[in-house]
Amino acid sequence: MTADSSTADQDRQGLSAAGSATFDIALRMGGLFVAIILVAIVIFILKPSSFNIDVGISVLRAMSSVAIMSLGLLLVIVVGEIDLSFGAMYGLGANALAVMWILWGIPIYAALPLAIAVGAVVGLFNGLLVTGLRIPSFIVTLGSYNLLYGVSLWITKTSTFNPVYPPPGAEIPESELDFFTGLTASFGAHPISLEVVWMVVIAAVIGWLLHRSLFGFRLTAIGGNPAAARLARLPVTRYKILAFVLCSVLAAIAGVLDFSFIQTTQPNIGLSYTFPVFAAVIIGGASLAGGKGTMIGTMAGALLLAELQQGLALLSPGPHVQQLFLGFVTIGAVALDLALTHVRKKRAA
Amino acid sequence: MSAEAAGGIRIRNIAKRYGSTVALDGIDLDIVPGEVLGIAGPNGAGKSTLIRIIAGEERPDSGSLAFDGQPWFPSVDWHQVAVVHQEPQLFPNLTVAENVLVGREGTRTRRPRLGIEDAGVMQALGIGLVKDRLLEDCTLATQQRTEIARAVARDARVFLFDEPNSALTDEESNELFREMHKLAGEGRIVLLVTHRLGDLVEHAARVAVIRDGKVRKVIDKPELTEEAIAEQLVVGTGGEQTATPKPSAETGREIFRVSGWSHGSEFSGVDFSAAHGEIVALMGVEGSGARELLRSFAGLEHCTGSIVIDGIAGPEVFGHTAYVPATRQLSLYSNLSVGENLIARLGVPQIAGPMLRLKKRRMREAAEESVRRFLVKTRTLAQGIRSLSGGNQQKVAIAQALTVGPRLVLLEEPTRGVDIQSKREIYRLLREFAAAGNAVVMFCTEVLEIFEAADRVIVVSDGRLSAPLTVRDFPHIEALAAAITRLERHTRLRLVEDVAA
Repeated sequence: MTADSSTADQDRQGLSAAGSATFDIALRMGGLFVAIILVAIVIFILKPSSFNIDVGISVLRAMSSVAIMSLGLLLVIVVGEIDLSFGAMYGLGANALAVMWILWGIPIYAALPLAIAVGAVVGLFNGLLVTGLRIPSFIVTLGSYNLLYGVSLWITKTSTFNPVYPPPGAEIPESELDFFTGLTASFGAHPISLEVVWMVVIAAVIGWLLHRSLFGFRLTAIGGNPAAARLARLPVTRYKILAFVLCSVLAAIAGVLDFSFIQTTQPNIGLSYTFPVFAAVIIGGASLAGGKGTMIGTMAGALLLAELQQGLALLSPGPHVQQLFLGFVTIGAVALDLALTHVRKKRAA
Repeated sequence: MSAEAAGGIRIRNIAKRYGSTVALDGIDLDIVPGEVLGIAGPNGAGKSTLIRIIAGEERPDSGSLAFDGQPWFPSVDWHQVAVVHQEPQLFPNLTVAENVLVGREGTRTRRPRLGIEDAGVMQALGIGLVKDRLLEDCTLATQQRTEIARAVARDARVFLFDEPNSALTDEESNELFREMHKLAGEGRIVLLVTHRLGDLVEHAARVAVIRDGKVRKVIDKPELTEEAIAEQLVVGTGGEQTATPKPSAETGREIFRVSGWSHGSEFSGVDFSAAHGEIVALMGVEGSGARELLRSFAGLEHCTGSIVIDGIAGPEVFGHTAYVPATRQLSLYSNLSVGENLIARLGVPQIAGPMLRLKKRRMREAAEESVRRFLVKTRTLAQGIRSLSGGNQQKVAIAQALTVGPRLVLLEEPTRGVDIQSKREIYRLLREFAAAGNAVVMFCTEVLEIFEAADRVIVVSDGRLSAPLTVRDFPHIEALAAAITRLERHTRLRLVEDVAA
């Protein structure tokens, strides 16, 4: 390779976070998008009647809360930690809002930020225990998963809430109800929920944070080699705590948005999201070892899962098929990753 | 040779290479049962490769080993060999007795049981009373004894002591050496590998000096002195003082000083200073406190006392230091590219602006500048850091530390495992950095490195600092090596006198 062409290479690639893995990531992304299209084609062949733009929109709606939580979890995984509590946080976000607003009569304009602030407090709790007391994050967040679910049961007294049908004695002003349902209102000729717009905005923000800001650069470095980062005096503790806070805040936001869309909340909502969200992040190419993961991959992972879920619901081959698919796709994605790494190492050697 | 009459291990023409690096280049060595054979050699001389081959962890590329006249393959016959490491390689979650038994077959339904002989072995080694204690709750000395007991119980014939006493107290290491001589007395083959020349002279019957993959010399009893070993370690390495002339330490303005600098356990009341343009080497074996002292200058060890850099005191001084650890696993990020590694320590305002937005162009410019300045041989900035050679990875590690503009840079063994060409370049870059009005302090274990790169050397022994030696006063490396050895012994002995007084 001549000197000229190598400078040209550099101009094109810059320092790209992917480094030499650019090719792998392109393959990986390519594979993921091929999978998404293949699944669409299979559904089309099996049930052409169901294949229309409205189904496509419903897939986007269905992926949105999983995607928002996946983006939060992605930050924690990139920095080399684990969060198991976001599903319970999703539930607590929705339930805290319901209790404050419907039961205690706090106006929605205050209750909504407060519910999200609960997320920040929970993230701080997780982050401080992990960095301060050096308890492994798996254990801390396994504990907080149960704590948060417990709090949800406690404050709701295990009851279900719906702002349209408030319990006797409580009264919801019409304007507040409109504001709340407006958060995820549908618009356009083919009605599409605002929740999808929120998802896109959040994806843009997280993508910027992870790939275009110093925060993301250092998050990746810390996840890749925490000991080196500490010796180089990078703000390891602060960044880890911030990752946990963002993860919990995004989970609370996802909970509130889904509450607005579905309009009911139960104490146990969100718990069943724990594993699908992990699957989305892993399918998206993030490494549980830390230091590796992209926003676009995570979004594609969430999209593939939502597509499978909606498609299989349409084909209705039975509930077991969806579970089987989730399992195959998760293991298959990581197996593909390892195979690609192996190929690259061989090529380099 | 007596080896043939008395049996023992005969090593003939053993060679081993890793890729393009020749680790062993035809080793010949006879090891006789009943005596302690010492092995000395600088880092990267092939010492650890030889140990790994004898321990059966590696296979030689060519050459032969014989044991009592029979061809011998340690990798098959590994149970004959026991290695006593600096850090015992045992199971901390099992008890002492269980560790002795691990690997032994029980019957299908019963776990292996502790036999009378095993109990006797542990009794003899003085660990009979703690046999039911978890290994992780035992002292290092007990753990090493467990390792020995484990080997004695399986009747190993060869014992390799690899830097065994670097983390032991004097008392503990005396006891360890007593056990070592006992093993030799029972007719076993004993090798002692250590950087501590004093221990070699005191405990080994003969010392083989290994350098550049060959046995340079086997020093026998009458000539066996610390100075003789030190000379053999460096003689003929050529070693040129690449250090370009510079204003002497007296005229250079002092830039760094610590006084009354005390660590919880490693050292206390240390006074040390460095001048503009100066490269100071701290020399010391593992456990001497030299490494901890260096790290403490970067604020990585909890210390008391006063520290001043360029007139600045207080905790913010550490912001003017940069530390480069000995292993690249602690300085490089394997998930990042070469370019990203070079700028990993930078932040606002160098590579990021308001809202922490990364300035992609500045990042590339900064990385390109480092590549030019530090002569990093890389095809692109975007390739993975692991694709570089060891020497170039080390350059990246040092460049990364220097990008933050420290006044004092602290390096641990800056050229360990680095090829000669990169070594030269690294020394020259450190010199340039110092000449720009900064200071360099490095922790070294090799005289050659000091001779080639440093202005001043201070020997650290048991947390004590010797008087400094000016490297330029020594016309050749052998003289420097001898002087450092004398100084080391002196510092050690002064300590003994102080304790006696």
